[in-house]
Amino acid sequence: MKSPFAYRPRPRPLQLASPGAAVAYLGAIVVVAFLFSNPLVLLAAGAAAVVAGLLAGARRAVWFAVKMGFALALLIVVVNALVVDRGATVVARLGEWPLLGRVDVTFEALVAGLSSGLRAAVTMVAAAVYSACVDPDRVLRSLRPLARRSALTATLVSRLVPVAAADAGRLRDASRLRGPGAAPVGKAPLARRLLAGSLDRAVDVAATLELRGYSLDAPRARNRRSRSRYDRRFYAVATFVLAAAIAVKALGADDFQAYPTVEIGLAPETLALSALVALSGLAPLRRKTNRRSPVADGTKTSLCGPESSRRQGEREVARV
Amino acid sequence: MSELAIRRGAAPALAVGALSFTYPQGEESALEDRQPALEDVSFEVAPGEFVLLAGRSASGKSTLLKAACGLAPHFHGGEIEGEVRVADLDAIAAGPGELAAAVGYLAQDPETQVVSTTVAAEIELPLEMRGDAPDDRARGVEEVALALAIPHLLDRTVDTLSGGELQRVALAAALVTRPRLILLDEPTSQLDPVAGDELIWLLRRLNEEWGVAVLLAEHRLERCLAAADRVIAMEAGRIAFDGPPTEFLAWARDNDPALETPAARLFSLAGIDPLPIGVRAARQTLRGMGVAHPPNRSSRRVSDPHPQDPVLNARGLWVELDRGDDPRDVLKGVELTVRRGERVALMGRNGAGKSTLLRTAAGLHEPVTGKLSVDSVALLTQNPGDYLVRERVGDELPGEEGMAALGAVGLEDKVDADPRDLSGGERQRLALAIALAGRMEGGNLPGLVALDEPTRGMDHARKGELVKLIGALAGSVDFVTHGVTKATRAAVVVATHDVEFASEFAGRVVLLGDGVVIADGPMEEILSGGWYFATEVARVLDLPGVVTPAQGAAALREEGP
Repeated sequence: MKSPFAYRPRPRPLQLASPGAAVAYLGAIVVVAFLFSNPLVLLAAGAAAVVAGLLAGARRAVWFAVKMGFALALLIVVVNALVVDRGATVVARLGEWPLLGRVDVTFEALVAGLSSGLRAAVTMVAAAVYSACVDPDRVLRSLRPLARRSALTATLVSRLVPVAAADAGRLRDASRLRGPGAAPVGKAPLARRLLAGSLDRAVDVAATLELRGYSLDAPRARNRRSRSRYDRRFYAVATFVLAAAIAVKALGADDFQAYPTVEIGLAPETLALSALVALSGLAPLRRKTNRRSPVADGTKTSLCGPESSRRQGEREVARV
Repeated sequence: MSELAIRRGAAPALAVGALSFTYPQGEESALEDRQPALEDVSFEVAPGEFVLLAGRSASGKSTLLKAACGLAPHFHGGEIEGEVRVADLDAIAAGPGELAAAVGYLAQDPETQVVSTTVAAEIELPLEMRGDAPDDRARGVEEVALALAIPHLLDRTVDTLSGGELQRVALAAALVTRPRLILLDEPTSQLDPVAGDELIWLLRRLNEEWGVAVLLAEHRLERCLAAADRVIAMEAGRIAFDGPPTEFLAWARDNDPALETPAARLFSLAGIDPLPIGVRAARQTLRGMGVAHPPNRSSRRVSDPHPQDPVLNARGLWVELDRGDDPRDVLKGVELTVRRGERVALMGRNGAGKSTLLRTAAGLHEPVTGKLSVDSVALLTQNPGDYLVRERVGDELPGEEGMAALGAVGLEDKVDADPRDLSGGERQRLALAIALAGRMEGGNLPGLVALDEPTRGMDHARKGELVKLIGALAGSVDFVTHGVTKATRAAVVVATHDVEFASEFAGRVVLLGDGVVIADGPMEEILSGGWYFATEVARVLDLPGVVTPAQGAAALREEGP
């Protein structure tokens, strides 16, 4: 089964944007999450990442990342509540625990854990959207001139991961299909077999790379500047969000304090920043083009129709 | 020599002189204990020539192709002597990368021949590696995509493609640099008859219109002999025959009948000359003899005189699979009953649902709706190697149940062998024994033995062994030699694309199309009633119920000269 985080080309702005623009945009959301501890700002960043993913068509990736992020956030909240005994408002006294000693769960530790958990969840969702929407081939291509060997390794790994996953699935099926009278397959022999198979596969893939001329010391190929008509939008949104976040941070508006008592600042700057960050999630919105009105002789031009727009977008996937 | 001179045909596309090659210890030739894989091989392929490389398994075909593209010895190591020149480049001195512009190579398994995420990036990669400018790359990708009829695939990711589509993409990546020579190692072995025929005719078109020289290694000669200008037959690393297809058929009849095509065997058995290189030539010869319409014999229906209990009974079976995109119904209400002792060929194009049906019967998939009652099932999947995880046959199959399973497949004398030292056919039988072990209560076979595409990459001789094994499991030949009593015969269901193989083993053919059974009946009836899922003999004679060379020869003898 294909991973929900695997890249799928779609004629949407985020996928059509150059990798640099997409990384800048999603990176800005993550930077905001690391700059601020205020749960309101973090929730806004999370909402932006989720909305961006949904608008880019990465519904499954977002859904899986939200579930995983929620689980991780919950874990962080629980661990923080158990190991941190700061805070004035005790909500539960759990007595003496081995290693931890006396455990008092405080409301403040819960909120502080929630803040850290939210940050991790935002990062996870943004990474999932990146994985599902940014073409790894284009990323590797842009890396190749900078670090040829690293790009080769990354190419091999990026191809071998799905192949190894498929091999593992086949081996798992074969072990289920063994008759009850055959020797059971332990994890160690299965892992050995998978490793040996992966090495064989790696040799095959390396041979293919060799045949494609990967080892050639050919003149470095000039790459088309990976520009798309959406780049400017994503760079602008990233710049605007980052500038606003830094400015608000500099003004000291991130007045969130967990200990000794929780204080969540709701200053106008914080509210404005939260609104701005949340709205930045709309950047991948595809603007609908108006169908040109029928011309006098009754025929229609389809140049600006949604279908031609879709086709143009599809071609851009191949070309950009 | 200048590129222009090469393009004008001044130099052969491939020149091999006194070539000998030995794999390093532990490589593919471990069994032969460093026997040369190629010995004193000499031949030339002219620009624009289509050469078919024939021969049994391990005769040196693949090694010859690897030497021609520089993988041997540059990638695999080993000792090489002699000369290999590709478009006047020394292939032994130059590596595969340097040869990439002059020669394209396509191997059996398309899965490991793609290295990028999207089709467009995959095809563009060789041009990028060569340092071509972006505009040239864009044009190259567009042109090759149009030539191979795959522009609609350019935006897709490679993991969403079918086997046939993936093979075309790999071919496009091999052709995008406009090489003068393309080498293909059994490219149709994983394709259904439709996709396989399309690929061969695509090659012929590239050969005729672009002047690309083709060197094609293939076991299913009937599929490509008519497209070839010349045939080279390999035998134990040496060239045993080199000449035109018609002469090759006469040579095969006299020296290695396993290499005969079904149409040629039909003519041999009927005593007709010359032997035909394809369906069209066979029909022309028959018309010339005034045998345009041999007697229309009624289809021979094979019915079991002792109908047995059903071992598989599917009623309105729906199975949904989710491969990560969207859930898709693969089986859409399958109705099928299989009884003990039946030998069933399950056929259909790639993606029709053959494997899914077998896997559902074996319990790997759960039906979403419908009824499925099934006896004990032993399923051998497409890769027998997946079943082999230990270094001694006896360790895979310990105890009495293990020995009984080994006996059922005729491997009881291989208990101490290392599975890696077994031949391909023996490894397949060992994997089947692993699936059978413990499912043979009291020495009885399980109700259903299922094989998924067991003939991939097999030569005719190995297919013959498999036909015997299937016969033994289904109880139509002497069971005692395999330690199983005739009363315990199993039903054998084989998912296959190979119509000639199906005509040799099957009593019944079930044809699946898009998840439903579209034809189900006696083998002779189904395999003589279509265009693609029909044997070569059926296509030559177009007679209901006549599918094998023996049946065809009998029909022709009835007609008389």
